[in-house]
Amino acid sequence: MKAPRLFQLTALALVLVSAVEVGWWLLDQHRFAVDKVREMHEVYAQQVGAAQALLDAGTSAARVHVLLPDVIVTNKQATLSPDVDRQLLAEEHRHIAQYVWEGSFFIIALAACIAVIARALRAEARVIQEQESFLALVSHQFKTPLASLQLSLETMAMRPLSPEHLRALIDRMLADLARMVSMVTQILESMRLERGRIDLRSEPVDLEGAVARVAAGCAERAAKDRIAVSADIEPGLQVMADPLALDVILRNLLENALAAVAPVGGGNIVFTGRRARGEVELSVRDSGIGFRPGDAARLFQKFTRLHPGGGGSHFGTGLGLYIVKRLMQLAGGRVSAQSAGVGQGSTFVLTWPMGEPHPSASPDPSESIGPLSRQPAPREHS
Amino acid sequence: MTVPAEHARRILVVEDDPHLAAGVVENLRAEGYEVAAVADGRRALEWLQGGSCGLVVLDVMLPEVDGFTVCRTLRERGDNTPVLFLTARGDPADRVRGLEAGGDDYLAKPFHLRELLLRVRAILRRWEWYQSASAADGAVLRFGGNEVDFRAFRARSWNGGAQELTEKEAMILKVLAERPGEIVSREDLLERVWGYDVFPSTRTVDNFILRLRKRFERDPANPRHFLTVWGVGYRFMTEGES
Repeated sequence: MKAPRLFQLTALALVLVSAVEVGWWLLDQHRFAVDKVREMHEVYAQQVGAAQALLDAGTSAARVHVLLPDVIVTNKQATLSPDVDRQLLAEEHRHIAQYVWEGSFFIIALAACIAVIARALRAEARVIQEQESFLALVSHQFKTPLASLQLSLETMAMRPLSPEHLRALIDRMLADLARMVSMVTQILESMRLERGRIDLRSEPVDLEGAVARVAAGCAERAAKDRIAVSADIEPGLQVMADPLALDVILRNLLENALAAVAPVGGGNIVFTGRRARGEVELSVRDSGIGFRPGDAARLFQKFTRLHPGGGGSHFGTGLGLYIVKRLMQLAGGRVSAQSAGVGQGSTFVLTWPMGEPHPSASPDPSESIGPLSRQPAPREHS
Repeated sequence: MTVPAEHARRILVVEDDPHLAAGVVENLRAEGYEVAAVADGRRALEWLQGGSCGLVVLDVMLPEVDGFTVCRTLRERGDNTPVLFLTARGDPADRVRGLEAGGDDYLAKPFHLRELLLRVRAILRRWEWYQSASAADGAVLRFGGNEVDFRAFRARSWNGGAQELTEKEAMILKVLAERPGEIVSREDLLERVWGYDVFPSTRTVDNFILRLRKRFERDPANPRHFLTVWGVGYRFMTEGES
């Protein structure tokens, strides 16, 4: 067991023992107060008995009162002064009230300590579990390209190959390496996004231009896979965003759409931008393999890769759409996904609030690690 | 299910990563195997319903239907085609899951090409041995009122009960029946039926023998056909030992 956890558990045990001790002290003090009052009652009862004996022996009432001032005599009958009775009762109540207040304070303070420590322990256990599952998922994601790389290298070492086959293997290995580099970048970015440690600016960005830039970057691949990418965006439509983050968001969505359309032998991807209800909305609609409607929310979780249509190629890290969601959240926007079902295509909708520019989403630049990188995005589909 | 002789060297590769699939297919073809490839579990099941092969190289994390389910479905269909799992999940619990699903062997990614080829060869060799040993005059085994059809993986026990044998049960029975009256060690059975280090201990063999006794012995507690030779292995008696 790690030292901090041992310390926390020891502290929790000590606090628990202290709480029990305080409870015991409270009961003990209550019992003590009650006993003390009862003893006082007995002492006073003895005084009343003595006074009565003196009266019976012929001592005057005045003399008895001098000797025993807490006793009053009425018609030769000795009784305890009602003031004394009231004082005893008041004393008992005062002590008990004091113990209850003090005890309650300590018990509440200790209960708060227990809650804080237990919460910290639970949070730590959850973090450890998340880290372990994250590591397991990351290592799993890396094993496939590593296996492919190893297989290509061992094939080269083991077999005499034609120059064409050799070239194909080298291309395959370079693609596997690029895939791993992309995965490392995306994993690091997703971790930074998770901690909110990213320097995002907020400035007006022309949406049409941003879409055109990203589409141009993927034009070659789209043409190769017979996919038509088009845009219908209101002229002059702007969003308040970090230009680099917007580039990453659009690239991820376009790569995702390309990966969804390629397995069905080509099709189209349409960007549509408009103002709606005081917001800016950009939808990315594809004619690809789609997904089951129930899987819409899962798409944006880390390491989710749906394979609704059984596409023939997927190199995604399962992080692209998670990054899109986090970047949109940090920009004050949101993203959603819809599909009528497998084989029915899909639509991803980005929504930004329309607002005034402000200098930076992260006021203290020292808190941030740096800007996002312009890495090629993964493909979540296929 | 018996694989036609011409399909015995045909291998189906089920892998959704195109690079890895291409690498495996190219290397298996270079070794002289006839290879088909599909990228998801559903297509694998469809392919196997229509065709036959001597071995399925099966990834576990597949689109549509995962590899374990594919293997389990095959076994439920009565298809005993050997399955070699190829997966990124290499921990012991996953190995056991794969073997429980009816897999024959398990190779964790990343793997060595030579090891893959060696395992493929070993599985096919074991399977070929079983197929040839179960051909013609070796197809049916009769002992103590039991009748076992090795090709159909079916049997009728002494009390007339119909029995569906698993591939491993049939192979163990075949190894024992080849050497009636002789002592066959547990290691020998492991090597002949499983090969390599798939299982951690020889206790696995004991469990299979217990299952065979339940199927074919009149009194499994006092076996007359599947006899234990303490500290060594087993002896199979066709006539039964009094």
